[in-house]
Amino acid sequence: MSTDTTPAVDDVHLRARIDRSLRYPLLFFFTSAAAWLAASSLLGFLSALSLNAPDFFERFPLLQYGKLQPIHLNALIYGWAMQAGFGVSLWLMARLTRNVLRNPVTLVIMGHLWNLVVAVGLLSILFGWGTSMPWLDFHAGLWPVLLLVYIGIVIWIIGMFAARSERTPFISQLYILASVFWFPWIFLTANGFIHQDDGSAVMKAGINAWYISNMIYMVLGPIALAASYYIVPKVTGRPVYSYALANIGFWSLVLFSGWTGMNRYMGGPLPAWLPTVGSTATIFLAIPALAVLYNQVKTMEGKLAWANYSPALRFAFFGTISLVVGVALNIILAIFPLGKTLQFTQAQGGVDLVSVYGFFTMTMFGAIYFIVPRIVGCEWPNGQMIRFHFWFSAYGVGAIAAFMIFAGMAQGHVIGNYTEEFTTAVERGKPYLAALAIGWFLIGLSNVSFVAQLGLMAIRRGRRDEEGPTLMHKKPEDYFTNELVAEKAAKA
Amino acid sequence: MNSLKPFLILLALAFALPWVGLIVYPSAKMKSIVTEVAYAKEDESKDTVFPIGRSFLASGAKVYASNGCAYCHTQMIRPTYAGTDRWRTGWSGREEDGLARETLPFDFIGERYAYLGIQRNGPDLSNVGHRITDAKWHYQHLYKPREIVPASIMPSFPGLFQTQPVVGQVSDMAVDVFDRDGIRYEVVPSGEAKSLVGYLLTMKKDQKVPNSIAVK
Repeated sequence: MSTDTTPAVDDVHLRARIDRSLRYPLLFFFTSAAAWLAASSLLGFLSALSLNAPDFFERFPLLQYGKLQPIHLNALIYGWAMQAGFGVSLWLMARLTRNVLRNPVTLVIMGHLWNLVVAVGLLSILFGWGTSMPWLDFHAGLWPVLLLVYIGIVIWIIGMFAARSERTPFISQLYILASVFWFPWIFLTANGFIHQDDGSAVMKAGINAWYISNMIYMVLGPIALAASYYIVPKVTGRPVYSYALANIGFWSLVLFSGWTGMNRYMGGPLPAWLPTVGSTATIFLAIPALAVLYNQVKTMEGKLAWANYSPALRFAFFGTISLVVGVALNIILAIFPLGKTLQFTQAQGGVDLVSVYGFFTMTMFGAIYFIVPRIVGCEWPNGQMIRFHFWFSAYGVGAIAAFMIFAGMAQGHVIGNYTEEFTTAVERGKPYLAALAIGWFLIGLSNVSFVAQLGLMAIRRGRRDEEGPTLMHKKPEDYFTNELVAEKAAKA
Repeated sequence: MNSLKPFLILLALAFALPWVGLIVYPSAKMKSIVTEVAYAKEDESKDTVFPIGRSFLASGAKVYASNGCAYCHTQMIRPTYAGTDRWRTGWSGREEDGLARETLPFDFIGERYAYLGIQRNGPDLSNVGHRITDAKWHYQHLYKPREIVPASIMPSFPGLFQTQPVVGQVSDMAVDVFDRDGIRYEVVPSGEAKSLVGYLLTMKKDQKVPNSIAVK
């Protein structure tokens, strides 16, 4: 990436053409993803509530925790996260390779197919074909279809990369490539071994745990990092602080994350070295996490306050901090002295949420706030609503994660004290579960505002005055980067 | 990095290593251990017959999975270095016979998938077959959990039961009987409930491990 951020006029026209070509596929992915997210928040709320008021939920036999929870999680992963990832990766790849998207209609059809498979999968859980294998809960026959549709979508990303004009790839492109390379691999491996192979039952559980960890760190995580490595330099108008450090961050993530995951079953009937390797690799994940954080802070140096104004920057920076927090918490869970108390409690779910929501989802919000105005040609209607979205999401995910970890400590403490009745652990955990429901309610509220704004943007009812991009607060004097000024001038 | 080839080769290598090391090789090894155990019973003395017979192993596990039981119940007793599960009364097996132990890979022979679990919102079920030997208890508990265990947060599963008019005597396994429009109705377990309860009643993961394959 060059240090000069003043683009030539030709360049600006090309960007505008790229953005226009991506408009409908991206709007499709973003709006359907946001709708799944809102649905998933609601389901998370109901699922937490069903643990608090099981008698009330007795009236709705389909709405049991054992179904609500997997539907909530799978809607979050395959409905929201994967689709937001598609949209963001497509845009980043198109922009970075300077390719206009061809055949957008076919891509939109593929997007419909993805939504259809996800919807069928979620219904299959609801009507009793769920597998009770976390993150792989869909009916066992659906995975080949999902995999085919995935390939049908990412083929555009790979195609654009193959037809790139700049031979040297930017770090974001490497992250996206790693993600699209790894998902088919782990998805095929996990489903193949679990559903098609007649092998060891306990290995299958281990593979399931490995799959979850790799989804977080090697499929979803890289897309978020690709986005923040793009957003942070763009918004601040600075090149990436250290490209060498960016490479170290990338390769250390690739090197270690594939080994993580089985530590979730430490002390389990797996060969003991598998969880041990998982724990060790989890500890080493601190390297990529800290490399990314340091690099981004240094890139923003002196302009950190801009995170107060730019929604993209603020969400992305929150995401990077959550990455570090999530890795730190995962390390705590992965080492015996602390992990054994928290194992099999609410804590692991809370920590996963820090990664999936605090890190990935928040960064995706930032990317969407950055991308959508460019593809629809108008600005976000209301900065205050973005602020509302940010704070409710941030407090929501923070509260949920904190309460799940506290619940885990309370439960784990009682379960660990083997002379206490098991039901005491249930009772100790209960107040936190009530807080969990409140947290999901907050997140649900914030996502309603997000869906509303995104809907307005999709029908191009955004702001069209001369104010410039919608900020979260009134802008400071030196805010605009040259690129934004030039883009606006070219469009005028 | 101007050429893509070294990048892709490095990427593939970095992914292939854990894939072979964590997934493919251990899976193959574990498979052969399981096969070994299945044949071990021929040359072991009678009291080490392994695996034990289980009823409704496949159909019960399916009901267990489709109702999301594994989201709240574990089937994994950790060894003493990794927790205190071994000391909790009834969890790790027949203490009085010296059979209580942590969960081993052989405990899942014949099962398609080991539902080791995620959380313990409910108790571990590894040896629930020893703790609860009464099918009726399970049916009542599945139908109205809080009437049996007041502090429970388990959902009730009315979907696993069916209502039918009483013909002759009330069924032994009826969990509820009521009158409507002068007709007596009883609520009895469905086939799914029977599979699930059969699966739970035979869930005894404390069998003696044959010497030939015991972890040394």
